Amino acid sequence: MDGEKGTAAGANARNTPLCPAGHLPLKGGDWLGSPASEKSDKEAYEHVASENTSESPILGSNGTRDSISPLEGEMAGRPEGGGQLQAPRRKSNRRLFRTPSHLLHALTHAMEAEELADRNGLLQGLDPRAKVAGAMLMVIAATMLHSLIGLALLFGFAVLLALASQIPLMRLLKQVWLGVLAFTGVIALPSPFLVPGKVVATLPVLDWTVSEQGLRSAGFLIGRAETAATFAALLVLTTSWPHVMKAMRALGVPVAVVAVLGMTHRYIFVLMTTAAQMMEARRARQLGPLKAADQRRLIAGSAGVLMSKTLAIAGDVHMAMIARGYRGEIRLIDDFQFRARDGVSLLLALLVPATIFWMQR
Amino acid sequence: MNDPVFALTDIDYDYRDQPALAGLSLTVQSGERIALIGPNGSGKSTLLRLLSGLTFAASGRAEAFGAPLTEARFEDEQAHYAFRRRVGLVFQNPDIQLFNPTVFDEIAFGPLQLGWDKPRIRLAIEQQLERFELTHLKDRAPHRLSGGEKKRVALASVLVTEPDVLLLDEPTAALDPQSRDKLVHFLAGHLGEGRTVITATHDLDILTAISTRSVVMAGGHVVGDGPVHDILHDTDLLRRARLTHAHVHHHANGSPHAHHHVHALDRDGHVHG
Repeated sequence: MDGEKGTAAGANARNTPLCPAGHLPLKGGDWLGSPASEKSDKEAYEHVASENTSESPILGSNGTRDSISPLEGEMAGRPEGGGQLQAPRRKSNRRLFRTPSHLLHALTHAMEAEELADRNGLLQGLDPRAKVAGAMLMVIAATMLHSLIGLALLFGFAVLLALASQIPLMRLLKQVWLGVLAFTGVIALPSPFLVPGKVVATLPVLDWTVSEQGLRSAGFLIGRAETAATFAALLVLTTSWPHVMKAMRALGVPVAVVAVLGMTHRYIFVLMTTAAQMMEARRARQLGPLKAADQRRLIAGSAGVLMSKTLAIAGDVHMAMIARGYRGEIRLIDDFQFRARDGVSLLLALLVPATIFWMQR
Repeated sequence: MNDPVFALTDIDYDYRDQPALAGLSLTVQSGERIALIGPNGSGKSTLLRLLSGLTFAASGRAEAFGAPLTEARFEDEQAHYAFRRRVGLVFQNPDIQLFNPTVFDEIAFGPLQLGWDKPRIRLAIEQQLERFELTHLKDRAPHRLSGGEKKRVALASVLVTEPDVLLLDEPTAALDPQSRDKLVHFLAGHLGEGRTVITATHDLDILTAISTRSVVMAGGHVVGDGPVHDILHDTDLLRRARLTHAHVHHHANGSPHAHHHVHALDRDGHVHG
């Protein structure tokens, strides 16, 4: 209901009485809750509100009762977009996951990433082994660079690759650039004030000096992190995760590491779906808001149940593996084809750090 | 009479201190198509796990292909691979069965463990993908498939090694009617190629299509065993095994009435016993 706040539909939904189809409305309409005195309802509301700091599921947002049918003579059913029961609005955003949809949103997000990997873009058409190796070389190049201009050019190259691979820049901004900026920005923030060097500015009130060397140091930290993270994001957004893992295996990453990563990726979705279903089932049976302590207890209990389900799944999966011949050694098969364009791409990726190394000798 | 594939005598098995199998005896001949039926908790899944060498009897005698079915036997690598090549189990929950990142990898898993060479594996995978109409899904992650697709991938991942014995645990559970029909079509059509097939199911509708012999389980042991048609018409036995219930219905041109009965699908159509 929060999404309707301030809209005409939302206003209608809050003000139009609820009337079940086929129900003949009475004069004055039908209302949720007991037809007893207004005073007793108000008292009930105040009692619930004082305990839960949120609105009653029985009473409306202003403490009045919600109707369940219109006035006599009005149409039955759910006319004019109304007749929806007011969901209890939560004031607290402090819970780990406010709704199961947050968990399902994470699943959708992962599926969208797979959809990007299926697009007909530049990077999507390359062999995953070339992409994994190329991304590693670009990360190395970003960390080697001693020039802010060079770093900016490398970052620009990553942006061009994103555009050529049909990766929306807005997605990179939200998922990568802002997050990295927030994380490294906190680390880099003291640097302009603490690193000694040529003073370029002074803060007015605090009288702190800002050094050129400090600014360059902060710029390098943020620039390298942003550039490296962008290349890593381009790899995972243009390659399905199974192919990333297979490519890692082909490049010599130990089979145990790849197998653990693969299983984690596989079963995180099963467990997230289970967790979302558990939360939904809990909400379906929850008649009113819970106190913070009860919520914490419930979350802890749910985590315990989820953990025991995880262990049960782990045992069953192990049995399923044994049933198909597994004896402790995972064997993988790859179906990659290394073509001329993959060789050229890898060569170009190799040339970037090599050139940087040569120029910075 | 063919040689017995499995010979179980007076088997006991406890699961978390609760008896899951109690004095169970059963002989399975090569090439038989058996339906294991029984209510929840009757021991069907436990029996399948025992037959597939995943759990072992606490007491009694179990043999597979003329050799004892014991934990010690599976410590020998050659015996382990020989048994796994001959016996395949399709789990009830495809999310348990399908643990690989893609459909292609899922089908490749078994042959890779058995040490097949890669050209042979690729050929076998292509055949299974085509057989189960999965070619277009080969690069998809199993968790993104529908229930029916998951079941078909699970079947393909087991049948790729062409096992002599196929064990199926509730293959039609949680499937919509069309997916169920498609699966039954596969089970009835593709699997009757001289292979021994044992299917645990609650779904009496499909018995005649997928099996010729029916074993009724209750309380961890066998309470009925015979041709499918005989078992389906033994309403006393089915009622005792909690496999039928009475509900009000009516036949064409008949008045509404209630009695214990089963609906069954066979190749000729609908049977109402």
